[in-house]
Amino acid sequence: MVDYRFTEEQELFRESIREFCASEIVPKTEKLGEVRCMPEDIIKALAKFELLGMVIDPEYGGLGTDTVTAGIAAEELARADLSCSIPVLFLVGTSWGHVIDKYGNEEIKKEILPKAIKGESIIGIATTESDIGSDLGNMKTKIVKKGDKYVVNGEKMYISGVAEAMEYGGGHVTLARMTPEKGTRGMNMFYLPLKDTPGITPTYVEDIGREAISCGGFDIKNVEIPKHYLLGEENKGFYYIHEGYELARGLISLVCAGAASKALENGIAYIKERKAFGKPIGKYEGIQFKLAEHHVKIQALRQLGYKALWTYDQEIQGKASRFDVSMAIAMAKSVAPFWAIDAIDDVMQWQGAFGYTKECEDQKAWRAVRSFTLAEGSSEIMKLIIARELLGKEFLAYR
Amino acid sequence: MKIIACVKQVPDTTEVKVDPKTHTLVRDGVPSILNPYDHYVVEECVRIKEETGEGSVTVITMGPPQARSALMRCLALGADEAVLISDKAFAGSDTWATAYALAQAIRKIGSFDMVFCGQQAIDGDTAQVGPELAQQLGIPQVTYVEKIEIDDKQKLTIHKQTEDGYHILEAKVPILLALLPPTSFQPEHPPMSSILKAKKKPFNVWDAKTIGGDESRFGLDGSFTQVIKTYTPPSRGECELIEGDGKDAAKKLGEVLLKHEALIKR
Repeated sequence: MVDYRFTEEQELFRESIREFCASEIVPKTEKLGEVRCMPEDIIKALAKFELLGMVIDPEYGGLGTDTVTAGIAAEELARADLSCSIPVLFLVGTSWGHVIDKYGNEEIKKEILPKAIKGESIIGIATTESDIGSDLGNMKTKIVKKGDKYVVNGEKMYISGVAEAMEYGGGHVTLARMTPEKGTRGMNMFYLPLKDTPGITPTYVEDIGREAISCGGFDIKNVEIPKHYLLGEENKGFYYIHEGYELARGLISLVCAGAASKALENGIAYIKERKAFGKPIGKYEGIQFKLAEHHVKIQALRQLGYKALWTYDQEIQGKASRFDVSMAIAMAKSVAPFWAIDAIDDVMQWQGAFGYTKECEDQKAWRAVRSFTLAEGSSEIMKLIIARELLGKEFLAYR
Repeated sequence: MKIIACVKQVPDTTEVKVDPKTHTLVRDGVPSILNPYDHYVVEECVRIKEETGEGSVTVITMGPPQARSALMRCLALGADEAVLISDKAFAGSDTWATAYALAQAIRKIGSFDMVFCGQQAIDGDTAQVGPELAQQLGIPQVTYVEKIEIDDKQKLTIHKQTEDGYHILEAKVPILLALLPPTSFQPEHPPMSSILKAKKKPFNVWDAKTIGGDESRFGLDGSFTQVIKTYTPPSRGECELIEGDGKDAAKKLGEVLLKHEALIKR
């Protein structure tokens, strides 16, 4: 039989984090504005509530929870911060902290993880380049071994958390080509600190949403990193990095569900009050049909998202295959931003002209969720993964 | 200090709506929460235990099996042990029958120094269970307690709120205290590590037979009162909101009172 219940601990955690968000996060989001760098007090508040690195081994300061519990945190943070800036900081740190925990050696884990968990530094992900997004095998950034160090040259672009890493410390899990002739089988995954690192020059761009977390890139010129910053074995980085992406994609599905469900709640409150032609607009079937459709889709999305993370947890325990994980995660992420955008869009529509103003809270979610059709793997790539698993690798278009 | 904290799971009254026709509470689909007064009680008990450096905090509630979640939250807030008294025999209990069942359970727990209750629960707002429990346990009580100082392990200094200030009282244990949350109280939100610890703490479920006593004093049979109806009384008149700073508002208030002949000008 299927058991759809969360555990007692997870139910208590949801209750507690919702209260935490109401008292500690929501008041802070009202003052966020377009700061383009996550304020330190928010990072510290997340750390104090033990949200940073919750899936990481307790030996390094984490809680060692499953990823479903991290999904609850992602969903609740998105309900609290409709700009999804805080959820992005959370999901990136969680996913790539997990990767460092899994593939890093003892030295780097002790150096990086406890600080990030305490909110004293951040962990990001940097694979995208100006001309390379999904096609990672053709990236330009290169890494070469030089004695007991590695030297990196190249650039990264459209990366979240650059300003935060420059300001507070920390760095990004990064991918570069070590053995170019081997394509995706010749890439290293490593940790690249940004702050005070000679050869790193940051640049910034302005996303149309998620204004409280920075987006940018950095030039990498003859940057030397110590050997212990290599994560896992040489030339296997392309495969490792997908484990981080899959966790991030699962969490994104629930960020979409959280933002959309909060927007829909806002919409329900509005349509009960707003009158047109003598009665509340919630009495009109044109509104009710949309409301019902969005509710069903958001609940379905939650099922897909939690199933995806449950499958991820099952694989960690050796009870599910890579196939199961890839399929479940891609299914959730392929529809999550679209279903969420549709719901939020209608909530804005219900609010008439006000819905298209910056005064309307829901437009923040509308602009933020749009990013997730691209971030951490585009919607097209999600569909390719689903088709690959259905048809077999011999049907991959790019082979 | 061996401390017992009595708590209650209540419907979240911020979510409760009133049926516009019957004026009764619509409880369907309303989430259950730990009574906010009791949240403070548990935090205060844990603070006292930590300050005195020894002892334990046992939380107890009477309710259906679902009340477990309220007790689990108390354990996550730092209580050491939980007791849920749950039995169909307790159904329909008024405050007196509730206090009797709680007293029986507390006797089963054994010795104690202090029993804490929230001043009232947000669903019934009776504020009766605490005083009735003290009566049934045969111990002194102080209600409307806002602050407690432990001078030594036997002597307490208690700040009791009154309409025009405070009474500062000295008392000895054993005692029952009904607490008001201080105005500055910001409840703690237990993080996941505390929730994980809570799961490992002792959790007891006791039925009517286990706590013993006179079964005719449980539930509806043992209740002197019954709730016939809960409703919002109809509005008694128009309301006028007076705005402005203190001086202006007082002047306007005076004018309104004179106009309605509630005051007579000499």
